Amino acid sequence: MAPPGQAQRSSSPSQPSGKGEVSDLKAQLRQLAGSRAPGVDDSKRDLFKKVISYMTVGIDVSSVFGEMVMCSATSDIVLKKMCYLYVGNYAKGNPDLALLTINFLQRDCKDEDPMIRGLALRSLCSLRVANLVEYLVGPLGSGLRDSNSYVRTVAVIGILKLYHISAVTCIDADFPAMLKRLMLNDPDTQVIANCLAALQEIWTLEASNSEEASREREALLSKPLIYYFLNRIKEFSEWAQSLVLELVAKYVPSDNNEIFDIMNLLEDRLHHANGAVVLATIKVFLQLTLSMNDVHQQVYERIKAPLLTLVSSGSPEQSYAVLSHLHLLVMRAPILFSSDYKHFYCQYNEPFYVKKLKLEMLTAVANESNTYEIVTELCEYAANVDIPMARESIRAVGKIALQQYDVNAIVDRLLQFLEMEKDYVTAETLVLVKDLLRKYPQWSQDCIAVVGNISSKNVQEPKAKAALIWMLGEYSQDMHDAPYILESLIENWEDEHSSEVRLHLLTAVMKCFFKRPPETQKALGDALAAGLADFHQDVHDRALFYYRLLQYNVTVAERVVNPPKQAVSVFADTQSSEIKDRIFDEFNSLSVVYQKPSYMFTDKEHRGPFEFSDELGNLSIGADAADTVVPVHQVDANDKDLLLSTSETEKEDGRALSSNGSAYSAPLYDAPASVPASQIQSDLVNLTSGLSGHVPAASLAIDDLLGLGLSVTPAPAPSPPSLSLNPKAVLDPGTFQQKWRQLPISLTQEFSVSPQGIAALITPQALLRHMQGHSIQCIASGGQSPNFKFFFFAQKAEESSNFLVECIVNTSSAKAQVKIKADDQSMSQTFSTLFQSALSKFGVQ
Amino acid sequence: MLQCIFLLSDSGEVMLEKQLTGHRVDRSICAWYWDHAISQGDQLQPVIASPTHYLFQIVREGITFLACSQVEMPPLMGIEFLCRVADVLADYLGGLNEDVIKDNFVIVYELMDEMIDNGFPLTTEPNILREMIAAPNIVSKMLSVVTGNSSNMNETLPAATALCVPWRTSDPKYANNEVYVDLVEEMDAVINRDGTLVKCEIYGEVQVNSHLSGLPDLTLSFANPSILDDVRFHPCVRYRPWESHQILSFVPPDGQFRLMSYRVRKLKSIPLYLKPQLTSDAGTCRLSLLVGMRNDPGKTVDSIDVQFQLPPCISTADLSSNCGTVNILSNKTCSWSIGRIPKDKTPSLLGTLVLEPGLQRLHVFPTFRLGFRIMGIALSGLQIDKLDLKNLPHRPYKGFRSLTRAGHYEVRA
Repeated sequence: MAPPGQAQRSSSPSQPSGKGEVSDLKAQLRQLAGSRAPGVDDSKRDLFKKVISYMTVGIDVSSVFGEMVMCSATSDIVLKKMCYLYVGNYAKGNPDLALLTINFLQRDCKDEDPMIRGLALRSLCSLRVANLVEYLVGPLGSGLRDSNSYVRTVAVIGILKLYHISAVTCIDADFPAMLKRLMLNDPDTQVIANCLAALQEIWTLEASNSEEASREREALLSKPLIYYFLNRIKEFSEWAQSLVLELVAKYVPSDNNEIFDIMNLLEDRLHHANGAVVLATIKVFLQLTLSMNDVHQQVYERIKAPLLTLVSSGSPEQSYAVLSHLHLLVMRAPILFSSDYKHFYCQYNEPFYVKKLKLEMLTAVANESNTYEIVTELCEYAANVDIPMARESIRAVGKIALQQYDVNAIVDRLLQFLEMEKDYVTAETLVLVKDLLRKYPQWSQDCIAVVGNISSKNVQEPKAKAALIWMLGEYSQDMHDAPYILESLIENWEDEHSSEVRLHLLTAVMKCFFKRPPETQKALGDALAAGLADFHQDVHDRALFYYRLLQYNVTVAERVVNPPKQAVSVFADTQSSEIKDRIFDEFNSLSVVYQKPSYMFTDKEHRGPFEFSDELGNLSIGADAADTVVPVHQVDANDKDLLLSTSETEKEDGRALSSNGSAYSAPLYDAPASVPASQIQSDLVNLTSGLSGHVPAASLAIDDLLGLGLSVTPAPAPSPPSLSLNPKAVLDPGTFQQKWRQLPISLTQEFSVSPQGIAALITPQALLRHMQGHSIQCIASGGQSPNFKFFFFAQKAEESSNFLVECIVNTSSAKAQVKIKADDQSMSQTFSTLFQSALSKFGVQ
Repeated sequence: MLQCIFLLSDSGEVMLEKQLTGHRVDRSICAWYWDHAISQGDQLQPVIASPTHYLFQIVREGITFLACSQVEMPPLMGIEFLCRVADVLADYLGGLNEDVIKDNFVIVYELMDEMIDNGFPLTTEPNILREMIAAPNIVSKMLSVVTGNSSNMNETLPAATALCVPWRTSDPKYANNEVYVDLVEEMDAVINRDGTLVKCEIYGEVQVNSHLSGLPDLTLSFANPSILDDVRFHPCVRYRPWESHQILSFVPPDGQFRLMSYRVRKLKSIPLYLKPQLTSDAGTCRLSLLVGMRNDPGKTVDSIDVQFQLPPCISTADLSSNCGTVNILSNKTCSWSIGRIPKDKTPSLLGTLVLEPGLQRLHVFPTFRLGFRIMGIALSGLQIDKLDLKNLPHRPYKGFRSLTRAGHYEVRA
């Protein structure tokens, strides 16, 4: 039950403060239990009301269970109802006491008043106490045969409840078959509908263990049954109609005539007052005509008006649900709705969630003929008081601009936004202008002229700042004071809290450097220094990467940082078309509202509990919740992170990385063919596991494979000087032994060895010759499969500084353990890298 | 399939909890919801994915109706059902508020019991429910005092459930047979600052209040049904006659109900104009509003009022008008109620708005919402031709009315 705090929170003065009141009640109830005095029902009713109201506010009144049951002998139906309600609430927690109620409930099941029979049966089935199921079978059986339809409807649902308490009892009593008979023969449509609902659930759950059940479930979709339901559809209640229509949507008609018959029959359902029925009908129409392209288009035409009416007639909540569906349709067939764009104009006092959907639809339906009107309308919202709405509308304008070919007018509008001098408008607009320039570089002159006038001090939002910096870098040759603006931004590096902005700053200053070197050189130096000292891993790595790139070769660096860019023709869609189709198949379900297919947020059975995210660990959940599904938010968040971190940067750097989070390995396969794929993979695994799956891990791996000589552990020193070894180094074994004893171990590392390398190790001499080729000499070797041990040494080219290596190769795990000792400790890291690259080439040539 | 329904007060207190299935939904979900609702503010969506359940929520008169589900289900079904629950409760209890629910929670429980079982909605038809559970009105209270029978439960089961017209009470009897048909229209319009009509549309309802004995059969026809863009019907309307002749043929439910709703698009004329003028200079802004008739509908326009939200950057406002009253609420909402337009002058509102220090000009502009009511006319032009009644022993009294009011009638500045 509710935490104690809940009880105290309720402010009504009549609330009991402690247990005293409950025990008072108990005594009073006990007094009344045996009494038959006139008027006793009224006082009972007051007491019952009190009990129920305590229960409602969350006070535990289970202690009066016995007294409540004793008082239940009454003919007053309201008293009975309150008693049933109470019993239903506490029986599960007090199975022993629940036994007490069986008696009077069973008696009530035989009452002459059908209402009481029905209520008693419903309560009996709602006790949900497993060891009482034997008492349910009898009353349920007679309930199904009851002459009154009310009792039968209750009994049918009762059987479903019984199934959930004890499936075996339900199946053993042959209830499903009885339900089926009832479904086909009962005169009352509510009984039929309840039978259908119950059977669908029972058979779906049973289908996994019984072939018969799965056959029966299939049979629900058979032609005679579907026709049986369809012919009576108008007699069903509106909710039952939705249920039947849901079933019909799954039916596969044998030929086109059948499809048209069904559609003709259901046509008038589109005018039903209940939105749930209308949507269910629309689903049937859409599903039936999926394979008939022309008819499918006609269906869109047909359902347009009812949907638009639903949007404008109901409460905002209803409009929201309908709009979500409309949104789905609009995305699929924007042309069909393009003339109705005015329906998606927002009203001032609509809730934000409705407006947001409408904006998305306006962007979707915009085409050559209506863009002008739509953008004009959106500009109105941008100037409005409602700030979130203004932001959304600016984004919408941007989206329209990106999907249109004639962007002339829109660019002007966007640039006008910049002149409105409102922080949030400027911020949103900058982000858009950046995207626009990536797609339409030909507009750069106009945009840059305006953007150049914006003071970077007025732009505070990270996204906007990043966009501005991107433009400063990209168009630094056209923007007069770009280097100086960048310089001032770099001066305030410490105050810049967003890592995204710092990343962009690094890239921009690099770009600027290649275009206007003399003006930027100082800024670049400052930026790289600041970047290397940055605590953020990505920023640090990028700075390091740029630094080494510049060091390696300036022209290569320019090619990497400033490649000739092609305009982006289409920005990646956030949702694949496959997922969109999937959502469409799940029309009229939560998938549409959440805009993801249901497998992404429910488990495979579409029922039962799912895994919960940690911040809600305190929510108590049924202990039977065992299935594990990754929480939606998390997956989503991860996806987004990956997308964000890769798409922006990688594209700009002219890398061939795809923006898909899962595709990290793809570009690696394009890496030098001499590196075996399996090694790359194992390398990648090593690295990523070490660095907890962050993006830098992946980029490190790439750097490594490109042979840039980056080590796994980020080097503390920014610039290890390059190292060349003396190819003809000599060292006698005695000196080696002496040095080995004297020197401390400066590095211990583990490398992977390629499978080819392992294969070539059959003759250890091959490795010695190979390493010799890389100026690393062997002084001693030994061991046998799977462990080989080697001692290597090497000397620096100019001076007599030695490196000593102990290398143990395990062929079964394909690993090499390396201990390095060096005269010059500071060089051991560089040497280790050299050694590793030499080792990795072993067996490959 | 809904698992549980909660009713929360406007302070987040659980007023009522109705568990529907074997899977018990813990109350703590309400606390989660409440925190979520506060954090989201007015961006709270009607369908929410909580970590444990999918939640459907609607708010009516400060009361939150919260339904939980863990399975995939039609969202509109959840929302629509909650709307119906709210309607039925409001109808039963004569309004919705915290006190009335707390006072009548037994009836609320009883109603829920009949409206939904094991998560499947059963019936939300007020007429049927009324036969099963009596409303707590004065008459029944009187009756219980007089007869000593204090049960608010009807003794007999509704016969209508077995009837082929499930929406109708079985065989009601009236001394005076009467039926009233109301056309109620709401005009939605958006007008730009230069006076151009961006959008104008009417949403209308045909509301019928029927007190007829027996099982009457009614036909209602319109003089100009072709102007209707799209229609939705009460389940009692037979579809074929509408399809072939645009005639509404139906056996009415007893009492008040919505027979049909419709939409009329692309209207060209609006009854009222509002001319806003905003000029700002050196930290102050002058506002002037003029309201007047644009196209005289031929009937009196009354209950005219203008509402608008002052931009947040305005520190003080001084507004005065030549007719009606002007109020500025604490949340910077201004309302100017005019009532009727006087014959001798044009209502105007003048004001000076002082901007926050540092601002020279006004960059955000308010939207003005205009309210009005016109009795005796349906602005869409829809006209009822005639109403025929069959199956009635006596000649009943027939009444017709029409009314147009402003829906979302907005003028941008």
